[in-house]
Amino acid sequence: MANLNGRARRKNTYDAIVVGSGITGGIAAKELTEKGLKVLVLERGPMVRHLEDYPTAMLDPWQSKYPQGKLPEAELNAHYKVQRRTGYTMTEQTQHFFVRDDEHPYTEENRFDWIRGYHVGGRSLTWGRQSYRHSPIDFEANAREGIAVDWPIRYEDLAPWYEHVERFIGVSGQAEGLPHFPDGHYQPPMELNCVEKAFKARSEARFPERRVTIGRTAHLTDPTEEQLALGRTKCQYRNLCIRGCPFGAYYSSNSGGLIAAERTGNLVIRPNSIVTELIYDERAGRASGVRILDAETRKDEEFHADVIFLCASALNSAWIMMNSTSSRFPNGFGNASDQLGRNVMDHHLGAGATGQAPEFADMYFSGRRPNGIYVPRFRNLGDAASKRSDYLRGFGYQGGAGRATWERDRGQGGRGFGAARKAALSQPGPWTMGLSGFGEMLPYADNRVTLNRDVEDKFGLPTLTMNVTMRDNEMAMRRDMQAAAAEMLEAAGFQNVRAHDNGFAPGLGIHEMGTARMGRDPKTSVLNAHNQVHECKNVYVTDGAAMASASCVNPSLTYMALTARAADHAVRARKRGEL
Amino acid sequence: MLNRRDALRGLALTVGAAATGWAGTAAATTALSWTPTALTPEQAQILDVVAELIIPATDTPGARAAGVPQFIDRAIANYCEKWQVDQLVGGFARMDADAKAAHGKLFVALAPEQQVAILNVYDRETAVSTSGHFFPLLEDFVTVGYFTSEPGATLALKYDPVPGAYNGCVPLAEIGRGWATR
Repeated sequence: MANLNGRARRKNTYDAIVVGSGITGGIAAKELTEKGLKVLVLERGPMVRHLEDYPTAMLDPWQSKYPQGKLPEAELNAHYKVQRRTGYTMTEQTQHFFVRDDEHPYTEENRFDWIRGYHVGGRSLTWGRQSYRHSPIDFEANAREGIAVDWPIRYEDLAPWYEHVERFIGVSGQAEGLPHFPDGHYQPPMELNCVEKAFKARSEARFPERRVTIGRTAHLTDPTEEQLALGRTKCQYRNLCIRGCPFGAYYSSNSGGLIAAERTGNLVIRPNSIVTELIYDERAGRASGVRILDAETRKDEEFHADVIFLCASALNSAWIMMNSTSSRFPNGFGNASDQLGRNVMDHHLGAGATGQAPEFADMYFSGRRPNGIYVPRFRNLGDAASKRSDYLRGFGYQGGAGRATWERDRGQGGRGFGAARKAALSQPGPWTMGLSGFGEMLPYADNRVTLNRDVEDKFGLPTLTMNVTMRDNEMAMRRDMQAAAAEMLEAAGFQNVRAHDNGFAPGLGIHEMGTARMGRDPKTSVLNAHNQVHECKNVYVTDGAAMASASCVNPSLTYMALTARAADHAVRARKRGEL
Repeated sequence: MLNRRDALRGLALTVGAAATGWAGTAAATTALSWTPTALTPEQAQILDVVAELIIPATDTPGARAAGVPQFIDRAIANYCEKWQVDQLVGGFARMDADAKAAHGKLFVALAPEQQVAILNVYDRETAVSTSGHFFPLLEDFVTVGYFTSEPGATLALKYDPVPGAYNGCVPLAEIGRGWATR
C-alpha cells in the first residue's frame, strides 16, 4: 500500500504546478519550463489547440446559421445571461469561448458582469490585446495619496520584465516619449486613418498634453525569428481575432506561451482539471500541491510540486484560496490579513463622446485594423496643470474613426426602399469618430467577493458572491471623461458632437483585479514583492489578483511581466532551497 | 384608419405616379424556387415578391437571387421571437388586405407598380412612427439578409476575407463600394 501510494505520488509530482492556462498561465508555463522545471498546467476547461480548435475562424458572413451570427433570445436567456452583457462577445462564432452562465452561477449583491471562458488559453483567446506598461506614477500613487497599501515594487523593478514579455509576445505600437506613458519594445505601429490623422493634428494643436497615438496591441507587424519559429506570422487585418487567429498574429497562450513551453519537453497540460484547493503541509510549513476535481470523471485527484503558481484569474485564484481552509489557514489560504477577496477593481468604461467628420467623404481605407487609437492619461500627472480637484487618478481614451456601414439607419422608418436605397447602402456612410474612457477604479476594502457555500455550480462546488460598486471618485471621473472627449472633438472641428455615459457595472471592463494584493506588510496584504503568498512562500499568485492598484491602462501586459518576474524568482529561490 | 384606406383606394388611380422607391425593374411573380419551412406557401410567395421590391436586382443581384426570402423563412423558423413572427406574418396579411382594398386582388397578383405604391404607403407611415409597424422589421431582415449574403457582400458591397494589410487613407474611388465587414 505504501508502495502504491508512493508510486502514485511520484507519478503526480512535478517541479511546478501552474493553475490556469490563460494569459498568465501561458507565460508561467513558458518561463518555468524554459528554466528547466518539469511543469504541470492544470486547466479547468477543455483543450483548445492552436489552429485546429478555431472552428469559426475562416467562416464568411453568409455561413451563419442565424442572422449576423446573433444567438436567439431564448438561448441567450437560458445560457448566457451574463456573457451577453458585453453586447459583442456572445455570437454563434464565439460562444464556444465563453462559459454557460447557468452552469457557472454566482450571486450579484450588486451587478457584476463576470465575462469568462473556461478552456485551454482562457481569455487570452478573446482578449482585447491592448498592451501598455504601468507608469512610475501608477506604482507610487497609493503611497503618495494614502490609498490602500503601497505597491512593494516600483516601475524599475518591472521594466526589464515588460521588455522581456514584449519581445516574446510581440507588440505593435508607437514610442511617444512620455514619462507617464512608458514606451516599450515595439514592432511597427499600425496606421491611423485620414480622419484620425486630422483629429490628432487638430486636437493636439488645442490640447498638446493630450497625445493621440495608435493603440499598442499584441499583434505581429514585423515578426521576429523566435515568433516565426513558433509558427506565428504577421497580422492579416481580418479583425476576426476573437474567433482565434489562424495566423497566430495576435498573442494568445495557445499560439505563444504554451507552444514555447511544449517545445521544451518539460510541459504537461491537463485539461478538465478544476483545482479546488491548495494542500498545505503543516509539518513542512508549505504547500505540497493541489487537489483537483476532474470535470469529466468527477473524481478528486492530488498533484504535488515544490512550486505552485496560481494563474486562474483574479476571481478564481481568490476562490481557490478562499476554498483552501486548514487549521493553519481557517479563513482562507494566506489570509491572515483578511484582504483575500477584497479590493476588487476593474476599469470603468462606456463614457466618452462621438462626432462626425465633415470632410474626407472621398477617402476610405482598406483592411480591417484590429486596433484603435489611444489617448494616454492626461489628468493628475503630478503637476499643477493636470491636477483635478474633483477626483484622483485618471483615464485614457480608446477609440477611432470609421465610416458608417450598410447597417446605418437600421430600423428607422421612412428611409425608402428599392434601387435607390440599395445603391446608397452599397456606399460607405459618414465618418464617425468616437472616444471612450477607460478609467482607474480605486481599491476599496469593501468592494469584495466572498465564498458562497449555499449556491453551488454544476459540479457541486461553492460559488462567489459579488459585492462591488462604483464610488464617488469613479463617478466624478466619468463626468470628466465625457466633457474632455467632447471638447477634443469640438476643437478638431467635428460636427454633431455628443457626449455619452452608457452606464457601467463592475466587471464589464473584463479587467478584474486586486483580490490578493501585493504589499510590504503581511498584516495588510496577501502577496509580497515577488508575488509569493506572505504566509506560504512556495505559492505565487501572478494574475490580476496581485494588483495593489489598477492604473487606467489595460492590465494583461503587467500581469504577464509580473508572472515572468515571479517565475525567475521562483526558479532561483528553489535552487537556493528556499521553497 | 379611414385615411389609410382612402389612401390605398386612391392608389388604384395614381399607380406609378408617386412610386418614390421604384427603379422600374420588374419584380414579377414567379413560382417559388424554394420550399418554405416556417411560412405557408402563400406567405412565402408574398415574401419572395416583397423582398425583391425592397432590394431589387440592378447592376448587382437582388434579394431573390441572394436567397433573402429563404434567409427570412429560416430566421422565422429558428431565430425570431414570437412578436417578430407575428409582426412579419401580420404584415403579409395586411399587404394582401390592402391589395384587395385597392385593386381587388392579392398582393402577388398586382402589377409591380401597384405593389410599390402600397409599400410607399407603409414607408410614409413609418416616417411618422415605426412603433409596432411591420415594415421596418421586414426591411431590416431583407437588408441584413441581403448584405450578409454572398452576392450582397461580394457584389453589391466589397468583401476581402484576408486583406493582408491596412491602408488608412485610400481614395474611395479606388475601392468603389462600402466594405461588407468591419
